[in-house]
Amino acid sequence: MNWPQLLVTVVTLGGIFGVVTLALNLQYARGGMINFGIVAYFAIGAYVYAIVTQRGPIGLDQYRFGFDWPWWSGLILAGIAALLFAALTGWPTLRLRGEYLALTTFAFAEVLHSLLLNERRIGNGTVGLANVDRPFSDWGPIEEKYVFAAAAALLLVLTLLAFRRLLSSPYGRALDAIRDDETAALAVGKAAERLRREVFLISAIPVGVAGAVYAMYTTLAQPSLFTAEITFFVWIALVLGGERSLYGVVLGTLGLVLFEEVVRAWPFETVRSAQIAASAEHVLTGLVFIAVLRYQPFQRTVSRLRVAP
Amino acid sequence: MTAIAGQPRERRALLEAAGISKRFAGLQAVGGSEGLSFDVFAGEFVGLIGPNGAGKSTTFDLLSGVLRSDSGAVTFDGRDVTEADPHMHARYGIGRTFQTPRSFESMTVLQNVVAGATNPGERLGAAFGRKWRGGERSATDAAKRILTRVGLADRASAPVSDLSGGELRMLEVARQLIRKPTLLLLDEPTAGVHPGLQDRLAALLRDIHREGMTLLVVEHNLHFLLALADHILVLAEGELIAQGTPADIRVDPVVVSAYLGSDSAA
Amino acid sequence: MLLLQFFVTGVVTGCFLILATIGFSLTRRVEGFLNIAHAELLGVSAFTTWWLNAELGVHVIVAAVVAIAFTALVGLLIARVIYDPIRARGPAVLLITSTGVAFVLGGVIDGLIGTGIRTLQIGLAHRYEVFGIRITSHQLLMVVLAAATSVSLAVFLNRTRTGLAIRAMSANPSLAASRGVNLSATSRATWLLSSSLAGIAGVMLAVVATLTTDLAFAQILQILAVAILAGLGSLYAVIVSGLLVGIAMDVSAFWIPAGYRPLVAFAVVIVVLVFRPAGLAGTRAA
Repeated sequence: MNWPQLLVTVVTLGGIFGVVTLALNLQYARGGMINFGIVAYFAIGAYVYAIVTQRGPIGLDQYRFGFDWPWWSGLILAGIAALLFAALTGWPTLRLRGEYLALTTFAFAEVLHSLLLNERRIGNGTVGLANVDRPFSDWGPIEEKYVFAAAAALLLVLTLLAFRRLLSSPYGRALDAIRDDETAALAVGKAAERLRREVFLISAIPVGVAGAVYAMYTTLAQPSLFTAEITFFVWIALVLGGERSLYGVVLGTLGLVLFEEVVRAWPFETVRSAQIAASAEHVLTGLVFIAVLRYQPFQRTVSRLRVAP
Repeated sequence: MTAIAGQPRERRALLEAAGISKRFAGLQAVGGSEGLSFDVFAGEFVGLIGPNGAGKSTTFDLLSGVLRSDSGAVTFDGRDVTEADPHMHARYGIGRTFQTPRSFESMTVLQNVVAGATNPGERLGAAFGRKWRGGERSATDAAKRILTRVGLADRASAPVSDLSGGELRMLEVARQLIRKPTLLLLDEPTAGVHPGLQDRLAALLRDIHREGMTLLVVEHNLHFLLALADHILVLAEGELIAQGTPADIRVDPVVVSAYLGSDSAA
Repeated sequence: MLLLQFFVTGVVTGCFLILATIGFSLTRRVEGFLNIAHAELLGVSAFTTWWLNAELGVHVIVAAVVAIAFTALVGLLIARVIYDPIRARGPAVLLITSTGVAFVLGGVIDGLIGTGIRTLQIGLAHRYEVFGIRITSHQLLMVVLAAATSVSLAVFLNRTRTGLAIRAMSANPSLAASRGVNLSATSRATWLLSSSLAGIAGVMLAVVATLTTDLAFAQILQILAVAILAGLGSLYAVIVSGLLVGIAMDVSAFWIPAGYRPLVAFAVVIVVLVFRPAGLAGTRAA
């Protein structure tokens, strides 16, 4: 097994998905919102990045738009697009709470997936948009994969710092108050609905940007990359990491990515054994998930830490 | 209000409930045929009493925006607040506590009180800046003073799960005091509070009333309430059946039969 | 005429959706949470039927009965071992846990069966044609089974002791307990019932569809659509909403590409949630 390569992959994918887990953590652990369609915001970021930076359609391409703008404008627009999509989906859904919110966000993600799959004018349908612009391919001496790992790590750290700053402000305390007891929070003038809506919107921004980085990394924006499995993966990472701590969330994501990459990188003799390993990975992930939810090992440490100071 | 005994009070009405009512699944919780109407005047200490199920807590929910009234209007400080959201009631200056005390369980006692204040840093734009820090410092200082006042200073850094039922009630009052509400609605402040703490509570309420805060208090402990209040509203089956000074209420035949009953020694 | 053909196909799809959703809604109603793993139980049943029938050569009816019983036991086992201990954590944690269960079941099926397309060892469907509308014997079986299942479920819930206990428990568990309903026995009965309903749906899936291991996951999307449309936890509305979703998906293929079927299902769901959050049958209190 090629450990240095594995490490680079884990940092890159862990950074990208860590951002999504952080956003989910903000929505769920702080905002009390169950988003079962987080993959949609990620996909929006990837597609918008691809569309903004790619050249216009040629040959067999069925997509309509390609602007050939620089990569940084793609990143920014990916974040903005995810924000706008959050506004669009949040408007009807945020009145709903608990499982209804979970189901509507899930439904929105499925609608988007189906749209990307079938509407060839957006992104070539099932084929997807290949040849997504990789801006770091000519960065001289440093190998591209390291630049990617660094970029993903940087995105993760920036998101982490921004969230930490937000949560340690009175804004974060108001969120905690609403989560602990919404009625009591309202009685001291906390605008619960506004705060929840804002959290839903701003947490979508880094998810969109992460989607863009993911598209750069895979050089592909294809419906099959953005299925509900991503949503479940990120939820599992969130639960693994102990939902109340930002660092735990990042560790959980890195751990889960490492686990998956080790299974994936394992040299299997036959196709059948590789397939069994892939199934075993699902089973194990599911079992760990169930066990963590049941015994909440990290939760306890975290709540001890929280009361200590 | 024609049939109700009691002399008119000559002051500015701070809170005016005019014909409010609430039905739950066909059951009238508050307000009969004409709805419930009463005034609370600025600077008054008003007691709201009535048997279980009289609609006292529902009335509080209507006054604080937790529930919307089916009819009528609530005016506070000259402003129609009937349709306002609950957090806006708090911002307009109506504070309240709850029948079962509520607290923010992930926070310490001190943080619970600081969280009561509204800080400009609760706006998204300001949260990333540094300007909220000044407000935070003064809120923390104020919270410490208030904790001393309610007798919880030594519990400041304890998690709320360590507090007794009575202490939780004190904490809830403290969290409202930091907001300096114009009108404070207290829902059964003595329930579950042991007698020693009750005396401290009585002294505290007397003090904040003297400092000018208007109080509307639901209380089952009539001994406690009648000693403090200037004016009593008596509710039964969602309707106002009597009002007047504590002295009037003690001898009012309607009240004695409808509410005090065997308990009339109070 | 083609439109009418789509409509008929839609009714058949709807009948399948009723079978697939009714157990899910029963769980939601009695146990109080959304069991995402319900769809994987369809897979358990479908592949058990396939394995017995195609690999071991058991007659399809025997295979189906065994598969349904087996699925019921698997469902009960999962409930006892995984859901019951965390019941106190509330519906959100149960919902999230059930996605973990779905992962495990999906992985097990995937690992045991492997990739590839599979069909049962049964004769080709007989095809009937009435006034130019084609319908196969398998499709007719689906309709008959859905009707029979709905009716017998209604009779069961309204006439039998266990059925009445299930209804009492779903309405008010503490009241039911005080009136002498054995809650854990009733819960057991509910799991057996809802899982065997998944079993029946799974068998039908094996009959009408070619089986791939990711088939079960695709069902949860449609199950959710029907369940939300019905109003979570209501049973009779599942019949109407199953038919509505089925017809909407198939009839829409008359105008727009068939690939949009899931989009149609979920567009219906979103419209319903926005304008009528508690579903077709719902009261606002839900």
